[in-house]
Amino acid sequence: MQSTTPRHSIDAYRLKFTGRGAEYFRVWIVNVLLSIVTLGLYTPWARQRTARYFYDHTAVAGNPLEFTAPLRKMVFGFVIFVMLYLAFKIASESGQDTAVAAFIVAAAVLAPYIWGSAMRFRLASTRWRGLQLRFAASWKEVYLASWPIFAMAAVWVGITFGLDTLAADLPAAPTPAHRPPPFPGLPRLNAAMWGLVAAGLVLSVLCIIRIEFNYKSLLVLRGGIGSQAGRWKPVYGDFVRIWLATLGVLLAGAILTALLAVGVVMALQMTLGKAPAPGAAFVVAVFVGVLAAFLGLLIATAPARAYREARMFQLIWSNVGLSQVARFKSDLRPWAYVRLRLKNVLLTVLTLGLYRPFGRTSEYRMKVDSVTLHVKGGLDQLAGQLVRQQHALGDALADLAGLDIVG
Amino acid sequence: MAPGELIRAKWFDGHSSRARDVLIALEPGRKGPALRLHVLDQAHAASRLFGHAEVQWPPQWSAGQAPARLTVALRDHGSLEFDQARAWQAALAAAGARPGLAQRMQTRWPALLGVLAMAAIGLLAFYRYGTPWAAAQLTRHVPLAWELSLSQQALAQIDRRWLKPTQLEPARQEELRREFRELLARLTPQLKRYPDYAPRYELHFRRGLGANAFALPGGSVVMTDELVAAAAKQGLSDDALLGVLAHEIGHVENRHGTRLVVEQGVLNAGLGLALGDVSNMVSMAGTLLTGLAYRRQHESESDCFALALMAQAQRPTAPMAELLLGLSHRKADAQHGGALSDWLSTHPATPQRAELLRTGSSAACRP
Repeated sequence: MQSTTPRHSIDAYRLKFTGRGAEYFRVWIVNVLLSIVTLGLYTPWARQRTARYFYDHTAVAGNPLEFTAPLRKMVFGFVIFVMLYLAFKIASESGQDTAVAAFIVAAAVLAPYIWGSAMRFRLASTRWRGLQLRFAASWKEVYLASWPIFAMAAVWVGITFGLDTLAADLPAAPTPAHRPPPFPGLPRLNAAMWGLVAAGLVLSVLCIIRIEFNYKSLLVLRGGIGSQAGRWKPVYGDFVRIWLATLGVLLAGAILTALLAVGVVMALQMTLGKAPAPGAAFVVAVFVGVLAAFLGLLIATAPARAYREARMFQLIWSNVGLSQVARFKSDLRPWAYVRLRLKNVLLTVLTLGLYRPFGRTSEYRMKVDSVTLHVKGGLDQLAGQLVRQQHALGDALADLAGLDIVG
Repeated sequence: MAPGELIRAKWFDGHSSRARDVLIALEPGRKGPALRLHVLDQAHAASRLFGHAEVQWPPQWSAGQAPARLTVALRDHGSLEFDQARAWQAALAAAGARPGLAQRMQTRWPALLGVLAMAAIGLLAFYRYGTPWAAAQLTRHVPLAWELSLSQQALAQIDRRWLKPTQLEPARQEELRREFRELLARLTPQLKRYPDYAPRYELHFRRGLGANAFALPGGSVVMTDELVAAAAKQGLSDDALLGVLAHEIGHVENRHGTRLVVEQGVLNAGLGLALGDVSNMVSMAGTLLTGLAYRRQHESESDCFALALMAQAQRPTAPMAELLLGLSHRKADAQHGGALSDWLSTHPATPQRAELLRTGSSAACRP
């Protein structure tokens, strides 16, 4: 796009991550140790330190980001979250089905609210050049953007009814819903039922992609810095294409890992002769088998997860901007990122997790350093206002859902 | 650097992304250093003092290397940016700043190693004393009915998968049951760890799983035909089998089955809280290893219980030791083909156990 105001030149700034793995290792190990000593109570402090480390070392046009979340609010959110979690645990362990159902329904209905407040907290806690970022979507907008969640629930309710209708033809006695009989395996399904379930799965995946698209676009369009709002170019089709490509990578990874696993099992059988007798050796063998399967799953899916993450990052950070002032461009190479992730996963497993901070900084560096910021009219033109933080419960819940502050 | 010395900085006031040149001085305050801001670009030089609580003091990440740029947030008054991080750190020290624990661990090895040692000791104490103690307390509140229904399901499952009906003559079964009841009659309140706990004892005979005996929570004790045969083959009296039964009664009275479940639960909750950031694998491996260790503790406890109960019944424990040694030798001879008895494999080293049982010394047992 050509500049319409020729008197302003466009300057390009490469984003830069200046952190070091060894330094972040210290941050991480301190967090782990203090969390152990305090039985987990240190978690909000640890989150603040981690976020601060990454923000402090992320330079945007030469100026580092700032993480300014008030600690008191983070601690408060964490405490409320822990109490909610304990209440849920106690209710589910002591078999209070009504309370558990109420919790689950409330969580589903509140999910968009939780996401929205987490994003508000996160953006409002971020400053650059003293200007506070903001997420200005109204709750109505957030809930409207969340329609795929409710569509997915409707799809599965529909499928359950459909299956019941189809199953009515089978000569099976109807059973009360609250006490299922201890049947030996899965209920028998005919072709029509399989078709219905498959359709449900496809629709669900489409809904998941849609919710990701809706939330990301809402975050950019209603997010911003100062009085400037974000700009968003990607369309839903871009997201679907990335998911399809990821599916291909996932299948390739699964086939490779399966072949590898078959080879290892056959080699073991050749060397050991036969299955070990029950007893301590058997228990150890089963444990090693479970661990190997877990690791296999981790490694088989790692390329697909890294690939999706990298493609998504590249798509978004090449197609967003800030009103007429700024554009981002990313030249992240997805396969280089996949190779980095594989190396990190293997080293993390081999070092029993101690390599994780090094892996995390290297992945973050590759992402951040791939981004170039193009600014029209200089860095001094943005205006803003400082707004007080609301609350941080959403942030603690988002932490549980795996939405990291950094990343 | 003396307190009050001026450092150059850029101030972003929060309303504009334009930087303003300012001078900063750090002054000692009552709760910690305070920050004085002198604005230079106004006609009348203005200055403002920020108290210790009004400033978000940046952490120092590394003792050696200072970052190229340092930011300090002033809440509603925007942010400061320093090019001279070293000068800032020196001024902070001069103004009497005291680094917190996390800060000291971050920049000083002795502090980090000290907390590491504390964490290791804490984890070890939690695992060795905290968890078993908490489990023993929590088990008090587990109802007998829950144990009974669990055991019923477990026994049905084991019967389907592993065990066959006994081929022991009914008369012999009745004889052993009578001796089992006599042994139970000798159970004194002093021996009971849970005085109010009244399990429903029942002795079952089964075939399969090799020479073995095990107890289920709630009072069901299972003995295999092979164990009875092994005692007969070694020419041992029923005292050997009764010793084994006393050991199993020990498991029931100490509620080891339930305690193991609770122990794993407590440990998992503790580890989950403490090691939340470490990979799941570590805590999975930890759970398995600690499970084995707790079971070994339980076996020793049951051996001590067997010693006490057999003494109460005025029966010798040496035959039980003989049986144990005989079985372990047979296992060593059989090496491969024979089924490995788990009654042996999770137990502490057999010779030491046999020695303890033979001498009948309760020195290793707590009173």
